[in-house]
Amino acid sequence: MNAARWKSFWRNWFRKSVVESDLDAEVRAWVELAADERIAAGASAADARRATLADIGGAERLKQQVRDDRAGTGLESVAQDLRFGIRQVTQSPGFGLTVMATLALSIGIATAVFSVLYAMVIRPLPYHDLSRIVALDTRSASGGPEGPSYPEYEDWRRLSRSFSAFSAYTQGSAGMDGSAGPVVVRDIQGSDNFFDVFGVSPILGRTFAPGEDQPGKNDVVVLSYEVWQQQFGGRPSIVGETVHLDGSPYTIIGVMPAGFRFPINALNAVYAPLHPTQNQITNRGNHWLATIAKLKPGVTAPQAEQDLDSIFTQLGKNDAFNAGRTVHAVDITTWVVGDTSSALRLLLCAVLTVLVIGCVNVAGLLLARGVKREREIALRSALGARRGRIVRQLVTEALIFAAFGAIGGIALAYGLLRVIRLLLIASLSRGAEVTVNLPVLVAALVTSVAVTVTAALIPALRLSGTAPTAALKSGGSAGASRRQHRLRTGFVVTQVALALALLVVSGLLLAMLHRLRNTQLGFQPEHMLTAEVDLPHGRYATRNVVADFYQPLLDRVAALPGVRGVGVTQMLPATGYGYNSEHIHIYGTAPLKSPRTDPSEVRFVTPGYYKVFQDALVEGRIPDPSIDKPTTRLVCVVNEAFVKKFIPPGRDPIGMEIGDNDQTDTMPTQNNPRSLIVGVVKNIRQTIYQEPFPEHDYMIGQIPPAMAAFVISSMNLAIRTDGDPNSLIPSLRKAFQQVDETVPLRDPQSMDAVIADVLTFQQLENWLFGAFAALAVLLAVVGLYGLISHEVELSMREIGIRLALGATRRAIVDGIFRRVGWMLGLGLAIGLAVTLAAERLINAVVEIHPEQNAGLIAALVLGLAAVGLVATAWPARRASAVEPMEALREE
Amino acid sequence: MTERSTNLLQGTLDLLILKALVTGELHGLGVSRRIEQMTQGTFLVKPGSLFPALHRMEENGWLTSFWGESENRRRARYYRLTKAGEKQLGAETAEWQKIALAMTHALKTT
Repeated sequence: MNAARWKSFWRNWFRKSVVESDLDAEVRAWVELAADERIAAGASAADARRATLADIGGAERLKQQVRDDRAGTGLESVAQDLRFGIRQVTQSPGFGLTVMATLALSIGIATAVFSVLYAMVIRPLPYHDLSRIVALDTRSASGGPEGPSYPEYEDWRRLSRSFSAFSAYTQGSAGMDGSAGPVVVRDIQGSDNFFDVFGVSPILGRTFAPGEDQPGKNDVVVLSYEVWQQQFGGRPSIVGETVHLDGSPYTIIGVMPAGFRFPINALNAVYAPLHPTQNQITNRGNHWLATIAKLKPGVTAPQAEQDLDSIFTQLGKNDAFNAGRTVHAVDITTWVVGDTSSALRLLLCAVLTVLVIGCVNVAGLLLARGVKREREIALRSALGARRGRIVRQLVTEALIFAAFGAIGGIALAYGLLRVIRLLLIASLSRGAEVTVNLPVLVAALVTSVAVTVTAALIPALRLSGTAPTAALKSGGSAGASRRQHRLRTGFVVTQVALALALLVVSGLLLAMLHRLRNTQLGFQPEHMLTAEVDLPHGRYATRNVVADFYQPLLDRVAALPGVRGVGVTQMLPATGYGYNSEHIHIYGTAPLKSPRTDPSEVRFVTPGYYKVFQDALVEGRIPDPSIDKPTTRLVCVVNEAFVKKFIPPGRDPIGMEIGDNDQTDTMPTQNNPRSLIVGVVKNIRQTIYQEPFPEHDYMIGQIPPAMAAFVISSMNLAIRTDGDPNSLIPSLRKAFQQVDETVPLRDPQSMDAVIADVLTFQQLENWLFGAFAALAVLLAVVGLYGLISHEVELSMREIGIRLALGATRRAIVDGIFRRVGWMLGLGLAIGLAVTLAAERLINAVVEIHPEQNAGLIAALVLGLAAVGLVATAWPARRASAVEPMEALREE
Repeated sequence: MTERSTNLLQGTLDLLILKALVTGELHGLGVSRRIEQMTQGTFLVKPGSLFPALHRMEENGWLTSFWGESENRRRARYYRLTKAGEKQLGAETAEWQKIALAMTHALKTT
């Protein structure tokens, strides 16, 4: 558009009244001038005027003719295009809905899932100088994770030279007296330099001062933003006030900004300096801390590891715990994101696959529609429509699809995210702050709108460029449309291939989840209620927790109607490993070759535990509180895996003694370090994923009261019930209140729910891949169906001729199926190849094992092929039902 | 030029208008009369064709318009060629001569 056009465009739109009155005056001038001529030629004034007006053919019509040609008329006709477009869309609602739904699903799913991925994997952590923060993964000589004890931490911190801040921390939970009664908060306790590691300043007050982690000074607390907002209403005057954590008074010294969290999943956290017990301060074997550090500028992680290694060697000379210790300095991002990243990366590929399938489908559908409308477009261009006008009309239609698809996609993205957030709650480290990622939403929108418009433009450009007569004559089966068919065949093959890949992954996942769900755990999780018990530290520090709390609680619960058995354990089966004793030695057997290499899981339970888990006794007896007291001989129960590993074949484990002279073990008794095996029970899985591990269980009643407060203040209650476990919750809560109203009934849920929680991530994966695969198959089928029915429609005439010339209907149908079979076959072959090629990537989520899962994969291939053939059946039937005479006449 | 033939010969009308304005500014009726005179009465351009063409050509920057007074003291809209219009006239003349030559030649061939 040149300057003159811009000028008139401007005038036409913004000075419309001037332009209009000018036009009016111009026409009137013409009339007057022409009439003057006629008068000069001898006509009467009235006749001259009449003749002139007749000449013009109506002043108003003339003016309209001028207006039509003006610049900017386009905008007015956009409204026209829009109306026409909407009419077109509503005329074939099936087509319109398919395109819009495809767009909405692709945009919505891609955005929602990507937002989750971004929040969990990609988004940088809320700390300063991320590259210098390392988590120190220290391991004992046997390779098990083992953080430092308090004295060890002090040594390491004093001797190391690689860190600008080397902090130890521990996490737990505490009851806090909030504004609306007591609430449970995450209680993160760290050394005085804890906040120096992260380099994040508080928004109010201060963080810990040097030396503030020493007893007497350490009753101060820094609030997280969430706690400050939710419990204190974001009051700025909060600094200096006192708050009670587990009954002890703490002075609030500061508030951290929103978004600061460490550990990253610690929602509703408060940060306090370490509060070690006397035992923790002096016991070098009590490894209760975790470490995180900030490297000095210029120091690399391997250098820091070397630094610590030499400290371990130096200390190890006269200290059993540091000998053979290893450390791995993991950068904080890897450490936080952890194991899930590769699985999430595969998910990202799946998301992109879905987006590609969706776009390919929309493109295919629009191309087909373009071919169908060839004649309409040709007719319009023959009637004088300009090329630009036709293109604009088609683009307007495409934009209508795109707009509705986009709106649907946005709604779907937000909806899906709500669901995902519900599913994610706790099992993923950063799940709680997942929000729709706007850049991604925009990117998905732009991509799909661009694809839609491009797909609509291709036929428009091609058609409007050719001579209309050719298109009109050929009746829409010109060579160009055959080229398009090849393109669309390629689309269908791609879709089938990608759909198969997704289908295989989701099929394998489903099979895996099914296997995990049906793992022989060693107990029946039905009819079981669990709850967490967390005793307020301050309240029970100096009391006998067994006599004062656990025993009365167990007695009360056992008396409740519907309860068959009740017990406690510090770690529920199937949820993970707790702590283990690393130095198992059975007296009377050959000494182990290398010490500290044969761990056994240690559990603290009550005799009722075995009843609840129906853990069948193989031999010996279950300990009895009336026989096995704190003052009598220390006894334990071992599982079959323990017997298999530690007891020489042919010897009776009952009566043998376990040596526990490793101070890391948690059951040192006053006088006798040996514990007596009194019973052997069947195996119960400690985790769902692995075979049962050797385990030896102690009774909480035999823990010396001095130690009990710290060893068993946090336990799990397990109850075997007659009926629905959840119906027991109210009476259980009452029992808690009767024993001690300051101890809340925390997190009561059925064992089924506990196991489901463990599998949340697998379930989420399964759900997502399942949804993707279903969507992919659906889209592939729609694409296939669309292509075939469209081909049939276009070749009606050809079919008619062939039938008229004597072809059987069967031959026609066979031809169609042969073509479909070829497309499906190629797509499935490519799909299988892609799946196997991506095996390494897929392994992050589920292992393929071609030989084991051949049956499953074959079934999926056949299933997809069958669905494809069924989708073809209906257009094929239509083709075979062609009446030759009618088909020919139609043209 | 009749209304019916205008559509087929749109380029022709533009050329005639440009040519008509070479000798100087004219109002609408003047353009019409000048074309009539130039073509010895073959083409009678009616306002229904003329006005849209004038406005379109003005928007293309080939013409400018202004209000003036006619010889018999009527207020009228006058059109004048611009530099771009003169160039356009040259180009269209050359094009037309090519077509005319080709057509003549074609019709002579038996």
